[in-house]
Amino acid sequence: MTTAFIERSNRALADRNLKLAIDRTTGTARTKRAAAVAAWPQFESARDLGRDIKDHVTANLAHYLSEFERNAIASGAHVHWARTAQEACDIVIGICRAEDARSVTRAKSMLGEEIGLPHAMADAGIERVETDLAEHIVQLAGDTPSHIVWPALHKTREQVRELFLAHHTDPGALATVEAMVSSARRQLRQKFMAADIGISGANFLVADTGSICTVTNEGNAELTTTPPRVHIVTAGIEKLVPSTAHAMSLLRLLVRSATGAELTQYTTFHCGPKRVGDADGPEAFHIVLVDNGRTKMLTEGLAEMLRCLRCGACLNHCVVYRQIGGHAYGGTYPGPMGAVLTPVLDGLPIAQDLPKACTLNGLCEEVCPVKIPLPAMLRGWRERAWRDGLEPQTIRNGLGLWRFMVVRPGLYRLATRIALPAIRLFARRGWIRSMPLAGGWTRHRDLPAPAARSFMDQIRSQGR
Amino acid sequence: MPISAKNAPRVGLFVTCLVDSMRPSIGFAAIALLEAAGCVVEIPRAQTCCGQPALNSGDTAGATEVAKHTIALLEGYDHVVIPSGSCAGTIRVHYPELFPAGSPWHARAVALAARTFELLSYLADIQRFQPQGVALQARATYHDSCSGLRELGIKAQPRKLLAKVEGLAITEMDGAETCCGFGGTFCVKYPAISNAITEEKTANIKASGAELLLGGDLGCLMNMAGKLHREGSPVRAFHAAEVLAGMADGPAIGEVA
Amino acid sequence: MSQARDAIFAALGPSQTQSADILRHADALLDRVAALRPNRVGDDLADSFLARVTGPVIGASGQRVTGVESVPDAVRAYLLAQDQPPSLALQPHAKLLSLDWSGIETHHAIAVDEAVAVCFAPYAVAETGSLVFRSGADMPVLFAFLPLHHIVVVDAASVVAWLEDCAAIEASRATPRNLNLVTGASGTTDIEGALVRGAHGPAQLHIILVDPVLPPAEKLPSHVPATPDTSR
Repeated sequence: MTTAFIERSNRALADRNLKLAIDRTTGTARTKRAAAVAAWPQFESARDLGRDIKDHVTANLAHYLSEFERNAIASGAHVHWARTAQEACDIVIGICRAEDARSVTRAKSMLGEEIGLPHAMADAGIERVETDLAEHIVQLAGDTPSHIVWPALHKTREQVRELFLAHHTDPGALATVEAMVSSARRQLRQKFMAADIGISGANFLVADTGSICTVTNEGNAELTTTPPRVHIVTAGIEKLVPSTAHAMSLLRLLVRSATGAELTQYTTFHCGPKRVGDADGPEAFHIVLVDNGRTKMLTEGLAEMLRCLRCGACLNHCVVYRQIGGHAYGGTYPGPMGAVLTPVLDGLPIAQDLPKACTLNGLCEEVCPVKIPLPAMLRGWRERAWRDGLEPQTIRNGLGLWRFMVVRPGLYRLATRIALPAIRLFARRGWIRSMPLAGGWTRHRDLPAPAARSFMDQIRSQGR
Repeated sequence: MPISAKNAPRVGLFVTCLVDSMRPSIGFAAIALLEAAGCVVEIPRAQTCCGQPALNSGDTAGATEVAKHTIALLEGYDHVVIPSGSCAGTIRVHYPELFPAGSPWHARAVALAARTFELLSYLADIQRFQPQGVALQARATYHDSCSGLRELGIKAQPRKLLAKVEGLAITEMDGAETCCGFGGTFCVKYPAISNAITEEKTANIKASGAELLLGGDLGCLMNMAGKLHREGSPVRAFHAAEVLAGMADGPAIGEVA
Repeated sequence: MSQARDAIFAALGPSQTQSADILRHADALLDRVAALRPNRVGDDLADSFLARVTGPVIGASGQRVTGVESVPDAVRAYLLAQDQPPSLALQPHAKLLSLDWSGIETHHAIAVDEAVAVCFAPYAVAETGSLVFRSGADMPVLFAFLPLHHIVVVDAASVVAWLEDCAAIEASRATPRNLNLVTGASGTTDIEGALVRGAHGPAQLHIILVDPVLPPAEKLPSHVPATPDTSR
């Protein structure tokens, strides 16, 4: 257990506003998803298909990457490759500089967050305008996203109002959420049209057309990618699908799992730059394909995680996420999927708490639209942490002693016979309020006193 | 359907380390129920713990050592029955994962997994058991423990059995399937997070208006009962097996006889 | 090719499977789709489409008219009902340009703060209530995103049943720069999960479904604008 994680989670637990905000958004998301799933009797078979499509792509990643690259280039796109976050940012910044871009709009992409693009652009002195409403809020607050679908989930309407009053040129009174959304619409309109470059992510990379697919409910992706001279896409290499039809099957799962809708309001397949005769669109279209640990995941037993569609259902249903929110996780991706990914991206020593701060209740796997065995993968990280000696020595010693006795029943029985009466000394009327070495339990709850005599001792007396 | 002594299954009862130390009455309730269902019940003498603490801590070597001990201990029975979804899930789901496929130990783990059952689902699904002559005037709510629910599919079975208890009304709480925050070692490693989860659980228990909290896993029950007691709630907690065996007139979890 | 590209392909290793086998497997996956699609789509695809798009989840408004010549009247009625001046951006599509727009000022360049735009969608998808736009000389992408009111004309006969039908149609044509599936007006739930329309794109989507003039021309009921879903 690292103190940094404990401190972050304690801070989150003490913030009642945060809890309220998390409950509001994730509660609605859970209700809506449940209704969408209930209205789809074949949901289980659809999940199997979703899993199989993604696994098929993972198993043939080299084939599909080549096919996508070939078709994207044929459509007029420039395809770039990045092994690391740094390489990916360097490529994007390089294009911005070559185009002499003064203003860059960006549609939310978790891959962009993962590679630290906002930070890299700030360092390069390039004006970045976040266009997703939540990312706009996060940018004004100088904050980071706390959810992969609702990045500003941690902000209450009052906090948003203050931010808009301070930063918008024509905010008005902002008495309602509608007024806040309107103010953001006015604020960002001119920015969309004035941008030199628009950056988006991709929900899917379609191999047989070389298209990239974006999904939004606001319409900000198309407003980000259509007016500027240049459209840059940053995408993880696992986003491939064989064809548009395969993307459709995954869209059904993704959108229902994320928001409970049947399809996002704006689902767009972008293919190359503006064509001859086209009325609008960018002159240049760049696609940056990013590895950043993904090929390593293939060889380290984490291939199933490459199925992830980034729907956020596992976050919305996680009892731990719902208490501590996204920032406490300390990485780009929070919740169960983040607890699997962050050790890949940030290293296990820093992220070791994430796989451990989980009750292994299995709900995340149950709601995952592509059946990622998240609990098993979290167990995998725990094994790795144990093997790497990250578990504190006190716990290792304790478990070692316990194991020594568990496989020696005679000794185990003797220890029980000594321990039970000793522990019962701390009990008052059946309950223990506090006891040395039991603070983890008794700080928040009472401990029922153990039995005076163990079951096995009583059985022995009965001669069974 | 009456089972003749001739084809009565020999059941090895693995009570779990928590029941052994914390609440033996669950073990005795299990014996009574299995015998009423026509089983020949034996208590393997060398039983200790299924190894979950090591398994969930990532100590695979430790878990494997404990698993070997437990497999050897439980191999001779027609069925192995455990009054806990998470311990039964450990043997059914996770023991086979500990050994390389094709190895002798893997074969033994798989064979044991196929014969191992959680108590309430064993009574309801395998023995088609119906409790008779048990009465309890009370309103109860049932917590579906996560491992039992999601690893073993235990949901309807305890409710079906409890429905036969005369006078007992089950009032479902909101979030009956939501984790109680126990999570084994999780609750002592991350007590503040665990507590926040448990507080939501106990709020739902109290809001259900039930006098009794029932469940099939002692770990979760101790967690919720301990929190309810700290909060001064009058809700009392029992393992469902205790109710089914007619033992709910005795002290609830944490109560003194 | 770049070092990074080589490194990524090296990490992935050589392909274990023949391309033809990969394609076969990919196709076989799609064979399973028909048995597991979520929504029942009725026999009248246009009806199914209109019901879905005007239903509580999508919350658009829509109407059915007979003959494309009826479209300008429907638009005039909409402008009146919405208290909008008789001026709009008209997508430069032959089908729209050929209509009689007298009484309405129309222009073909869309303004940043355009109030109303009228578009023609080549087809729609009944399953999801989606309008499909293919960018090109006669379909500037921004027509679907800049206006506050987005009015879309679509032929009833062009409605297809499933998203896969859309994929199949597109697979048989040259890929446009943008293939836009529009399913309702722009919305956001980014502030406390509350649904607000018109986040960046249109706040209202109105659909005019056009039936061909056939003797005997039977007038179908028009759908009133539904109350938007505000429970999110």
